[in-house]
Amino acid sequence: MARSPLGRWADERQPADDYYPTSYGRQNAYPPDDYPDELVPEQRPTVDYQPEQRPADDDYQPKQKPAKSRVDEWMEVDFKFGGSRIKRKAVALILLGAPAIAPLFFMLPALVTLNSNTFATSVDDTLGTGAEICLFLCLLVTPLAMITGQHWFVPLRRWYGIMMACSAIGDATAAGITDDFAGGVFGRLAGHVFELMGFMMVLLVIPVLITSNAWAQRKLGRYWKRLQQITYVIWGLLAAHLVLLEGLGVQSGENGSGFAGDGDPVFHQRFYQYSVCSLFLLTLRLPPVKRWIAAQQKEGRNWLVYLTITPLFALFVFGFAFIITEEIFKGLDSFTENPSAE
Amino acid sequence: MSATYARVAQDDTRAGGIILMIASSLAAVLVFAGLFYAMGTGARHEAALAAAGCEPSLSPSGLPCTTTAMLKNQYAAILTPDSKQLAADTAAYTANEGKNLAVAQAVLTAEVTTERAFDTSLAGITFPPAITPIAKALFQADQARANLTAQQAQSSSLTQMRSFNHRVQAASATVQTELTLLGKALGRG
Repeated sequence: MARSPLGRWADERQPADDYYPTSYGRQNAYPPDDYPDELVPEQRPTVDYQPEQRPADDDYQPKQKPAKSRVDEWMEVDFKFGGSRIKRKAVALILLGAPAIAPLFFMLPALVTLNSNTFATSVDDTLGTGAEICLFLCLLVTPLAMITGQHWFVPLRRWYGIMMACSAIGDATAAGITDDFAGGVFGRLAGHVFELMGFMMVLLVIPVLITSNAWAQRKLGRYWKRLQQITYVIWGLLAAHLVLLEGLGVQSGENGSGFAGDGDPVFHQRFYQYSVCSLFLLTLRLPPVKRWIAAQQKEGRNWLVYLTITPLFALFVFGFAFIITEEIFKGLDSFTENPSAE
Repeated sequence: MSATYARVAQDDTRAGGIILMIASSLAAVLVFAGLFYAMGTGARHEAALAAAGCEPSLSPSGLPCTTTAMLKNQYAAILTPDSKQLAADTAAYTANEGKNLAVAQAVLTAEVTTERAFDTSLAGITFPPAITPIAKALFQADQARANLTAQQAQSSSLTQMRSFNHRVQAASATVQTELTLLGKALGRG
């Protein structure tokens, strides 16, 4: 029996994490089954189907687009700017998406002047940290859409993913040229285990980047989503990269990780930052948690969801703030070509 | 079957709630621990300044401290390329001092440029008070050598040019002594 791509058996339901709401009022360019089940709880089968009891495929209804929230509707409204009409959503997306260019922008003067010293000293801090920020922002979109019920910012996920890939590839390219590790280009890229992790991340991000477009999505069909889930492997490799780079401890004197000068080495430990940010992102991706949230939302207890996730989100913000701070300081140093070697 | 599924689904949902509660509690503990830890920043900052040899308000990145390590990096960033360039210039001068006046003059002129660039970069580094006199002495010694080398480059004959060699070597020895002192002060040597 051919299975409809629009319906899945309850026990086959994939841990749908990413979904691709289309622009409202337009034809959906994405496969309907990419919507998270949690957003259409009313359509989830409530019976335990046996093979012989399966209804005909025709009985399945395609999952509907999630209902528009009031914010989504507000974002869809045009306003007049100059001689043209612009959607509020477009402005908001540009404002939220523009900072993702910052890491590449910070390295631009060094690139224009071919300043190998700046590249050798701070490209890893500027572009590497930038890639980490973009990865977290990319991973943040889905949980936020699930919690808030808003979808106007979902296009940012692709944008942040693309910028993450560009920053990571830029970091690896510069490291391969300017680092002073022995062993030629390969030695500079993979001569140490932490570098090997980073190199693998870059290798994996390339197919994700190449297929991050609607054409590739159509061509790859159901495999597209699997391919894009390589992002999770990259997320895991980043943990290995940071642990091998920084260790698990904090700086003492001039040894270890984290800048000692400000008296807060714990907050500057990159693996700690990664961990506290990932706790929020990972927990809200666990299928039972998603189902619990959907159940609370269905019963009108969204306040309970917000209350429960507040500490997790606070911790995420806590860790992310230090990553952002580092990116700004190191990035500005790179931009002025006075690279910081801290 | 329907009841079975409903019960399983309910258990699963409850498990999700428990997972979320545990994670959230852990997060709350970590946030409070972080805030508590942050309260001790001032004391740790003072200790870190003392331990890492920090000098307040010297940081190029706006951080409240320049560590000895940062100074070392800044110093190395100007010293290493200039040393390499000077070594190359010296070798080129040695090869030409007895046979080609024009090339030897050009090499010495390049040497002067390198020495003055080093001086300019050195003056751009803000050293802590304990190290500043050593850095100044190095600056002056290098200036003296650069002036001497500039005079040497203006020689009208190879013989006249070689007559400067001993004085330049003495000036270079002085510079080397100051370099060693500064390196020791920064913990490099």
